[in-house]
Amino acid sequence: MKKKFSILDTIIIMAAMILVGYILYRLNHSLNYSWNWAIIPSYLLHYNEQTETWQSGLLLQGFFTTIRLSIWGTLLAALLGVMVGMMSISRRLFLRLSARTYVELIRNIPALVLVFIFYFFVSDQLIPLLHIDRLSRSLSGESRLLFSFFLSKPEMITQFLSGVITLGLFQGAYIAEIVRGGIQSIEKGQWEASAALGLTSWQQMRRVILPQAIKNMLPPLANEFINTIKYSSIVSVISIQELTFQGMQVMASTQVTIEVWITITAMYLVLCLFLSMFVNRLEYKLSQGRF
Amino acid sequence: MKKPLWIMQVIALFTLVFCLAGLGSAASIQQQLARESTLESIIRSGVIRVGMDTFLPWAMKSTSGEYIGFEIDVARRLAEDMGVKVEFVPTKWAGIIPALLTSKFDVIIGGMGITPQRALKVNFSIPYDYSGMSIVAHKEKAEGFSTIDDFNKPEVEIACKLGTSAAAATKKYLPEATVRLYDDEAQTYQELRNGKVHAVVASAPRPAFEAIKYSDSLFMPLKGTFTQEPIGFAIRKGDPDMLAFLNSWITNVNLEGWLKERHDYWFETRDWADLLE
Repeated sequence: MKKKFSILDTIIIMAAMILVGYILYRLNHSLNYSWNWAIIPSYLLHYNEQTETWQSGLLLQGFFTTIRLSIWGTLLAALLGVMVGMMSISRRLFLRLSARTYVELIRNIPALVLVFIFYFFVSDQLIPLLHIDRLSRSLSGESRLLFSFFLSKPEMITQFLSGVITLGLFQGAYIAEIVRGGIQSIEKGQWEASAALGLTSWQQMRRVILPQAIKNMLPPLANEFINTIKYSSIVSVISIQELTFQGMQVMASTQVTIEVWITITAMYLVLCLFLSMFVNRLEYKLSQGRF
Repeated sequence: MKKPLWIMQVIALFTLVFCLAGLGSAASIQQQLARESTLESIIRSGVIRVGMDTFLPWAMKSTSGEYIGFEIDVARRLAEDMGVKVEFVPTKWAGIIPALLTSKFDVIIGGMGITPQRALKVNFSIPYDYSGMSIVAHKEKAEGFSTIDDFNKPEVEIACKLGTSAAAATKKYLPEATVRLYDDEAQTYQELRNGKVHAVVASAPRPAFEAIKYSDSLFMPLKGTFTQEPIGFAIRKGDPDMLAFLNSWITNVNLEGWLKERHDYWFETRDWADLLE
């Protein structure tokens, strides 16, 4: 590993810095825009005079909703993905075909289009069947708080669920591919050897193949979780109150646009960078063979 | 060939039965309508769900995360008079009518202008407010423009928000001008400030606010508004009870002078601006 800069490196770095500087200069001088950074903190944290407590402002609330949405979306996607991934390597043609159909359908529709289709057609038929909004409205006190903490405000639950299901369906297709690839990455000899030992096919899968496959799957799965966070901003179009949507609300209310976008960008960046670092450490640990 | 008497009797009997059944079903249809009205379901659930979008000064999010604005006051008062709680469902404007039709909420209270095209899809109450379009222009690009005809040229570019009646009004009153549509309002004003378009057409009073805030580069070429449009509540079709109730309510608060008082507070003063700081 060389740690020294060559002359070319220095020139490239200088050029990049000049470019960034120029962009910032243009932003400040030729964009006819009156900057108002003072407004941002009050939408992050807000002091409530009546209860004399600090409350999270709109942007932070949106940030938490994004995290909740991503976690639930990933859980659902993992469930779907494992199921569909298993189906796509099964011996039965019907299962393989259904799995293929689902994966190809999702992978070849733009996320935004899928979100709209789902919101207007599917969520109308699905969600009312669950009667969940009536249930969530009847909550009180502590259960209401728990519900809000883990899911969303009871009154926004139907939209939140549409968002989770949409994200889950979408990411499920990608996770299914990861699962399929992970299992198929284990060489045939392992199957044959475990079959020779007299294990049933379920035992082969559980005791021999999966433990090895999971190692290969974990890094891309963790990456997929980061992708879920990024995709979650798409569901702002169906008015789910995650970070991007709340940001737009703040912009429409205060007419402070660029500052809000920059703040949102920073929030997403911090969240995803933090996770990326975690994924890198995970990959390193796995490569060391400690697990 | 004479038909036997019993056949005639059977036919007569059937006819009688059908007529009676018709009478009965007419009565039950009426009951059914009343039972299935949104009004009933609101009272039953104790919550009215209101679809809206953030739009200054109709509805805004204050720093404390509360909704404030003219529209919000109207919706809160409506809920109070019905004896139910109000729940705001913020929805992007471009998709707000489909969201109403698919029962995401009970009523749109969002400063929606009553237009024939929209009225084909939803039912509007009588107007509870009037707004109009005003135009704010760029000082250099639109220098000397002072009538609506000055803007009605192919080389003049006008920015509007997608799906608003501002976009429709621009196409109607400025058919020659080039219209550029944006997903949200802030983008339209940013384009204008950067001198990318000649003017922005939007509902009063925001264009005037913008012209005050950036008085060095923007100006108001026309006095007041160049259109008059009635603003109404929108509900799903086939619900006469709900419509009747809303109309009665509007008539009532209008005569009280409450609507005008609220309108003046939100549109004529800026006393509420510090709630957004």
